[in-house]
Amino acid sequence: MSRMRLFPRWVLFVSVLGVVASLFAAGDARAERRKNPLDDQPAVRHRLLLVKNRFELTPLFESTINADFRHILGGGAKLEYHLSDMLSLGAIGVYSTSLDTGLVEKIVKTLETDPDDMTREPSQGEFNAHLNDMPVHGAAFVSLTPWYGKLAAFSAAFVNFDFYFQAGVSYAQLKSSCGANLCDDANPDPASPMFDNNPNNDPPLNDGTKIGLYLGGGIHVFMNEFIALDLTVRDYAFADNPSGADFNADLAVTDDDSRFLHHLFLGAGISVMLPPGAKRTP
Amino acid sequence: MRSIHWKSLLIGVLIAAIGPSASLRTGYDSAEAQPKKGKDKGKKEEPKKEEPKPEGADEGEIEMGGDEKPAPDQGAAGGAAGAEGGVQEGEIEMEGEGAEPSLEQDTAAASTEAEGPVKATQVTEAKLSWQDIVVVIRKPFLKVRRTELYPFVSTTVNDNIIRHYSVGGQFNYFLTDVLAVGVEGQYYQSEFREPFDLVARQARRLPTVNKYNWSGALDFHYVPVYGKFAVLDKHIITWEAYFTAGIGATESQVVERDKKFPGFKNILITPNLGGSMRFFLFKWLTINMGVRDYMFVDQFEPTERTAAENATAEEAKKHSDGSFINNVMFQIGVSFWFPTSFEYTTFR
Repeated sequence: MSRMRLFPRWVLFVSVLGVVASLFAAGDARAERRKNPLDDQPAVRHRLLLVKNRFELTPLFESTINADFRHILGGGAKLEYHLSDMLSLGAIGVYSTSLDTGLVEKIVKTLETDPDDMTREPSQGEFNAHLNDMPVHGAAFVSLTPWYGKLAAFSAAFVNFDFYFQAGVSYAQLKSSCGANLCDDANPDPASPMFDNNPNNDPPLNDGTKIGLYLGGGIHVFMNEFIALDLTVRDYAFADNPSGADFNADLAVTDDDSRFLHHLFLGAGISVMLPPGAKRTP
Repeated sequence: MRSIHWKSLLIGVLIAAIGPSASLRTGYDSAEAQPKKGKDKGKKEEPKKEEPKPEGADEGEIEMGGDEKPAPDQGAAGGAAGAEGGVQEGEIEMEGEGAEPSLEQDTAAASTEAEGPVKATQVTEAKLSWQDIVVVIRKPFLKVRRTELYPFVSTTVNDNIIRHYSVGGQFNYFLTDVLAVGVEGQYYQSEFREPFDLVARQARRLPTVNKYNWSGALDFHYVPVYGKFAVLDKHIITWEAYFTAGIGATESQVVERDKKFPGFKNILITPNLGGSMRFFLFKWLTINMGVRDYMFVDQFEPTERTAAENATAEEAKKHSDGSFINNVMFQIGVSFWFPTSFEYTTFR
């Protein structure tokens, strides 16, 4: 007995297609309803643009962190232009003086007072004269400011702040002053037939201009719309031999004793944003 | 009374007619549309009158976000909105991101409620203004009566001869939201830095160095600073800064210059001071980082050690050289909070 067909096959097919399509459509509609309309919105509206399209001029103070032989302390300035609220270009320059670290003070007082070629240790004068200073240093950099916010201190002071990260090219002018009375070895090259196996009377070879890598990270704490406290950790990395002594144990001071070193500084400054008025986001 | 009845009836009919989808939109709309235009909707926008800003808020600044969660008084509709908004259990609800009350609406409601009695008793209508509102910003993370378990790693930042690494933990109990008492412990490992070898090789001097084995302390924490920041203009993260002061003990050990002569250990009274930051990720998890200065008078190996002088550890310790040390360490870790959630005891 043949079964009676209630609907033609094409009606069934179209019905199934319709049901599937409507299910998809319903799913899309639900997904549309579930989508949070704030997803594509900025985190803060009517935000005060404290840096965008403004110059930043910062008189600053800098000091090395954890220097091995000499602390470098100095003052300088940073000039930066903020292309947007996240991206800026800038340059920094610092004039510095130096102070011996505690390690140097401990070592020097135990060294012999006058040079003695019969011993392997440097004299106090030789040790000090080989150390270098950094009278000028600086950098040109690109800065990214991905974080901004506000904070409350002691429930009384409410201030804006932002965090920034910088990368660029560093520059340093190094200086050492070992006179002819101490650094009198005219043939410090180990290959020279006149080689004396004494690195203490070799010229330190740790002065001159150095170009390297610059990295930094810091925070602006805004006192008002145009003045901010600027705290930064900066790394000026370049080839250096701060002790000016024999590093690779070949009993001579040569250019091979220089190595790529990080010079970490902590900086504090007052940033002045120009023009003084800040705009707001929509 | 009669007017209240017909209004209730009207509201009931409207809710039934519009259904839950309207409730969903209400949640988002109210979050998007601050400050509310209210009655001015559709009218030409006029320059805004300056209003006194709430304490701690930038004038006109509006924070956006998708973490809105219903306030308890929003009822079932709000609950549906919260569920649709994708709020996960344990996520931190941000102040200003949820459905915020509107001053105009509240004012209008107050006026409407006042209408009946005013007519009956001839009481003058009281207008609300921003000055009548006390703004208390609700913190997105509560710590009071909660316990923080903070495992961390740390490293020395101010010693150019020897660098210490440590693994440690803190166990802090918050007496209030800004004050905590806790204990901490650390186990240290050390390595010599470049100058240790350089001094020996270049200056022919063996540095006198101590290494640290362990330390422990009783600490007090105070949180004076809290804030929030936006990351890439998309995500808002709250954070706080806190100071720590404590006292404890550190064990240091002499690194012998000459292995023929034994070293010795010291137990040192160690006050500490520090500053740290805490970033709130969930109701039960934060990321902490900070700097701590552990201060003590360490006892170092005496300069002269021969077979006749300071040969034993006891003699050497007796004639050791004391020196005040600031052992500054950078610490970073993840904190787990117990109980893992918290309840607000005040209204938004």
